[in-house]
Amino acid sequence: MNGAIYVGKKEKNTFMDKVKKILPKGSNLNLCLTCGACSSGCPATGLENMDPRKFLRMVSMGLDQEIEMHPWVWMCSNCQRCIYACPMKINIPGLVYEARKLWPRDKRPKGILGSCDMALRNESSSAMGTAEEDFKFVVEDVLNEVRENQPGWENLEAPVDKQGAYFFLSQNSREPVTEPDEMVPLWKILHIVGADWTYSTKGWGGENYCMFLADDENWKKIAKRTLDSAKDLGCKVYLNTECGHSTFSVWMGQKKFKIETDLEIAPMVKYYAKWIREGKLKVNSDWNKDIKVKFTVQDPCNQIRKSFGDPLAEDLRFVVKSVVGEENFIDMIPNRLNNYCCGGGGGALQSGYKEQRFQYGRLKNEQIINTGAQYVITPCHNCHAQIHELSEHNKGNYHSVHLWTIIALSLEILAENERAYLGPDLVEVNLPN
Amino acid sequence: MSNTVIGSVMIVGGGIGGIQAALDLANSGYLVYMVEKTASIGGVMSQLDKTFPTNDCSMCIMSPKLVEVGRHMNIKLITLAEIKDVRGEKGNFEVDIFQKARYIDMDKCIACGACTEKCPKKVDDVYNQKLIKRKAIYVPYPQAVPLKYAIDSENCIKLTKGKCGTCEKTCPAKAINYNDKDKNFSINSGSIILSPGFKTYDPSGKLTYSYDNNPDVVTSIEFERLLSASGPNKGHIVRLSDYAEPKKIAWLQCVGSRDINTCDNGHCSSVCCMYAIKQAIIAKEHEPNLECTIFYMDIRTHGKGFENCYNQAKDKYGIKFIRSRVHSVFDQSGNKKGQVINYVDEVTGKCVSDTYDIVVLSVGMEISPDIKLLAQKLGIELTHGSFCKTNSFDPVATTREGIYVCGAFQGPKDIPQSVIEAGAAALCAGSILAEGRNTLTELKEMPVERNISGERPRVGVFICHCGINISSVIDVKDVGDYAKTLPYVEYVADNLYSCSQDTQDNITKVIQEKSLNRIIVAACSPRTHEPLFQETLLNASLNKYMFEMVNIRNHGSWVHKDYPEKATQKAKDLVRMAVEKVVLFEPLEEAKLEIDQNALVIGGGISGMTAAKALADQGYKVNLIEREAILGGNANNLYITAKGEVIKKELDKLINEVKSSKNINVFTGAELIKVEGFVGNFSTTILQGDLEKNVKHGIAIIATGAYEYKPEEYLYGKYPRVFTGIELDKKFISNDPFLKDVKTAVFIQCVGSREPQRPYCSRICCTHTMISALHLKELNPDMNIFVLYRDIRTYGEKEYLYKEAREKGVIFIRFSSDNKPKITVNEYGLEIEVIDHILQKPVKIKADILSLASAIVPYRDEKLAQFFKVPLNDEGFFAEAHVKLAPSDFAVDGVFLCGLSHYPKPIDESVAQSKAAASSATRLLARKTINTIGTVAQVNPVLCSSCGICVSICPYNAPSFKTSGHFADKAEINPVLCKGCGACVASCRSGALTLKGFSESQLMAMISSTCL
Repeated sequence: MNGAIYVGKKEKNTFMDKVKKILPKGSNLNLCLTCGACSSGCPATGLENMDPRKFLRMVSMGLDQEIEMHPWVWMCSNCQRCIYACPMKINIPGLVYEARKLWPRDKRPKGILGSCDMALRNESSSAMGTAEEDFKFVVEDVLNEVRENQPGWENLEAPVDKQGAYFFLSQNSREPVTEPDEMVPLWKILHIVGADWTYSTKGWGGENYCMFLADDENWKKIAKRTLDSAKDLGCKVYLNTECGHSTFSVWMGQKKFKIETDLEIAPMVKYYAKWIREGKLKVNSDWNKDIKVKFTVQDPCNQIRKSFGDPLAEDLRFVVKSVVGEENFIDMIPNRLNNYCCGGGGGALQSGYKEQRFQYGRLKNEQIINTGAQYVITPCHNCHAQIHELSEHNKGNYHSVHLWTIIALSLEILAENERAYLGPDLVEVNLPN
Repeated sequence: MSNTVIGSVMIVGGGIGGIQAALDLANSGYLVYMVEKTASIGGVMSQLDKTFPTNDCSMCIMSPKLVEVGRHMNIKLITLAEIKDVRGEKGNFEVDIFQKARYIDMDKCIACGACTEKCPKKVDDVYNQKLIKRKAIYVPYPQAVPLKYAIDSENCIKLTKGKCGTCEKTCPAKAINYNDKDKNFSINSGSIILSPGFKTYDPSGKLTYSYDNNPDVVTSIEFERLLSASGPNKGHIVRLSDYAEPKKIAWLQCVGSRDINTCDNGHCSSVCCMYAIKQAIIAKEHEPNLECTIFYMDIRTHGKGFENCYNQAKDKYGIKFIRSRVHSVFDQSGNKKGQVINYVDEVTGKCVSDTYDIVVLSVGMEISPDIKLLAQKLGIELTHGSFCKTNSFDPVATTREGIYVCGAFQGPKDIPQSVIEAGAAALCAGSILAEGRNTLTELKEMPVERNISGERPRVGVFICHCGINISSVIDVKDVGDYAKTLPYVEYVADNLYSCSQDTQDNITKVIQEKSLNRIIVAACSPRTHEPLFQETLLNASLNKYMFEMVNIRNHGSWVHKDYPEKATQKAKDLVRMAVEKVVLFEPLEEAKLEIDQNALVIGGGISGMTAAKALADQGYKVNLIEREAILGGNANNLYITAKGEVIKKELDKLINEVKSSKNINVFTGAELIKVEGFVGNFSTTILQGDLEKNVKHGIAIIATGAYEYKPEEYLYGKYPRVFTGIELDKKFISNDPFLKDVKTAVFIQCVGSREPQRPYCSRICCTHTMISALHLKELNPDMNIFVLYRDIRTYGEKEYLYKEAREKGVIFIRFSSDNKPKITVNEYGLEIEVIDHILQKPVKIKADILSLASAIVPYRDEKLAQFFKVPLNDEGFFAEAHVKLAPSDFAVDGVFLCGLSHYPKPIDESVAQSKAAASSATRLLARKTINTIGTVAQVNPVLCSSCGICVSICPYNAPSFKTSGHFADKAEINPVLCKGCGACVASCRSGALTLKGFSESQLMAMISSTCL
């Protein structure tokens, strides 16, 4: 057998020691029982002949050279499902994150690197590089169009840089740049509940690819910019449109980098649920009583397992059941805190390992197929895109939709041009008069 | 407060530990109060199905003890009660007790069950782990002690809503009392034993286990109930969601153990590996085609006989063992049945997905919150894992003087170890009250034996259903009807459980009312139950040998379960044979023997010295024999214990105490050369140097220890830097400066253990390696340490040492027995090559030292075994009387065992067992006299031809030639030595020998009745 590992009378291995110093409490890396709980529950197990346990073992045995530049670090989506079951609560994703740093910055995946650098180009933080004024123009342009073309919405607002607004809303770049009509349902919802909200020009872009790049300095820079922007506008609550990693990057970034703020950093879904409970958002599922279209929901790892936990998972189900009808909701198995990552997280959508990403997603595809649902509600942009692609790749015939689309549908306020992700079965349902 | 020592002990908790301690104490002259939280004693053991390795039904081996406690006049049961506070100090505690109302007058309740039958309220059956319902008025299980009903006040309609009252109307004994009130009262006792037991980990609410809403995911204790014939599905294993028969079952180990993330139980629960293997084997015996898989991290079969059972599970039963902790269990979507389990194959590194009909969660042990609170209230310190804190050299003493502990509260453990600690706790609790002994106890006055000479035989036949164990196969009523037709049979009855307390009372009553003079019980095995029924005969003024047991369960319903009609016919035949036999019975007499009050302890290590001191402290004279020139045994070369105590220090203290005790006579450099006699009257010759000395003693304790294996493998003896665990300890003791310069140290586990020639696990080596590795890390924190192992077996709270070792950077590499590490020496020194179990690549370690965790080898002392007529097992350890319930006793009366000669064990367990052996010895010595058995051989000297065959064939030296007087030179039997085996009777060519109770006429009568 070749490729023996030599240990004993030699230098202490450096990467392990380094990581132990960086991660809180050394991240318990030493405590590994090599039990395999992590790998048995990880969708990335087997990709590049690697799995979480093996990765940690290689690090423990000092195989730094083999770890360095290993592509698997970009296939692990940092979903933390391994930590969830690990009897020793070992932070393997934290280790993977540090291992990403072993790649020279310019050798890291182009897609992630480009998106990070793009966000640093101007004050907008948009990973697509859209400048502040361009964003403002698009918002106003779309708003005017709605006011003119959709009866009843003459007073709709989409404020930008409104001083003293209660909610600060950051916006994923995908909508303003590639599908601007997709912004409108959320505006309408905010209008109906009478929310006092605002976008900003500075730091409006919610996404944070520098986090995926393991570029701490710029993760912090982007998170701080958007939080500062919200602070400067005097807002109380920091919201992001339905996007998992955005919310996480700000929520975690604030903690990790000790960014000072009084803002509540909250996921959008929590407020949907609150408004429905308060009667401000009078949704119902009558539209689905006869057609019985089935829905399932993807719990975004970044928002459920990694941050807001069970209360948010409960809120998410409450909202979905309220709008589609309890009988038309089918949960995936497993779900909530123990849900599988779809494979779109951790920058995977931009890392260039497409084949592996589809392989990663095979469990998610199976889970969805097993529910029999035609629609997967994905309150996260990366989940949305990955599940959309999984459906096409596997010919799964299911649709991936944001929650705002279905809420608006239920409220009879979803215009024809806001239905890009609905299938033929819903494209004409509950159209506004 | 007066200075009088109170001769009573309070035992808190009525599980097997508490029961054993209570019986030890009550039979040694102390009054016992047993406080039990539930309505009856029995604890978790009463819920278990069959027990390893005898495959005895747990309840069956336990119920005689339950009954003994129930009818013992010196044990006061206080059920539905908890202790709230303790004042005072050792010798005189005042204990506050809170007792919940039972709502039943226990003096009036006749346990007829009419109330339960009529009670309209169904509630979860806690005894059956809530898998089925029982009624609000209940007994937990049919053999419960006390067998008195109780009302569950939280669920009773009358007590909660004021309506109903059905049970009061139904009860024929007028025992229902709705006005019963909860009570607070205090009892004084001299010492206290805490044996509150454990609770099983509750996996509810954990998404990874899918336990909440999935009936096909069950805990291991629920599975015990499913396996049990008295369980919810009468022992027929089914998938609870649809009652289909399972084809595949998976066990997940370490659920709620060795987990500091999803729960806070860092300890190993010690028992789960073995019970999972047992459950899998029993499940396979129920259904041979069943596929059983156990998912584990380390298989911990460190107990006596366990490794052998593990090997059988793999090789004989085909049970699959997969090393993987499973991330999650989840059900399949839609209507498909079965639980999905994904795991990573360690060799291929590939993820495998499989489905199982039933998933059993092997839940661990933890201490319940109310016990933690009680400990706080009592000022008793707890460990990191919330178990009771003890010291290795005093393992059953809590941190409060006069309060002792045994069982799972002392640390996670199995039944044998709990029973051992119970004995130790009883000894300690009794010893401090020595002056109060026999001051509070009452002597049982046995009724005068009825003279039945001249009476016509009047036979009573009692036929047992054994729950459904017998009656599901054999038509009990039919057998009963048949029995009524047999000659001399005056009375026939059938009972659900003949061993239950109410049945005993009933048999006593019937014997007296019907003037029965011969009793037959057709039930289970006389091995476990004969003494129980004989006691009942005594209570009814009948000679106890007027009794015959017919085993229609083991020899009937169990073996012929597929042929119910033939089994019923066989039961009838057996009953008829028994009737033919008993009518020829005559009362037998037992000889009464004085017990010599001196003791002999063989072995002067920690075990022997502890046992000797325990007896000496109670005033018994002890001769202590040690083969070496100095006392101390292996402990002389050991460094520290798992709890960090310096062994030398404690050892010196113990040696001093032993040497200075006026009651102990130490013989070092000595051996036994001759042992004669029997329980109560041994005569032993000791050879010390050239001197022979004869000593007389009533009991003997064997504590001869074991030694460390000298390896032939891994370059041991060929290269100086390869040494054994004890040799490394010696370097620690001498503080060898060379250790500080060691840069890399390697340990190899299981050297000489778990090998074909020595298949057992040596139990202590994993822990010893952890202690040594941690000590090396202390000497030099930068030292590279590698432990090459097969399974890490740091059971119980020793798991924390394993955790600490990993924390400090020790690397653990797992190897299999067919791919062992290879050692070479080159110019740089030692190189050790092993395949890493995760990377599946060779790892080459350049090491400065190699420490071999060498096996513990028994002396296989056949001479000693022969002297005392005690058995050795295949491995060379002494074999105890009963693996579970008599682990420190031999089947031979008056001889006890402890320490390494029984099985490898650490110091704390050796100390506990030494005290347990001393406790058993005390129980015997305290009786002052004992009776021999009545079923002994007898010589008719007229027929004896003095051939001497009986003398040579007897394994117990009972026959001898009369040397003088009438019939000189003819054989005679010493009834005290005779065990009633019948070897002499069968071999006597003159027909001069008879075995009482098995006479030729009796046996011929049985045979002719079958040939009719």
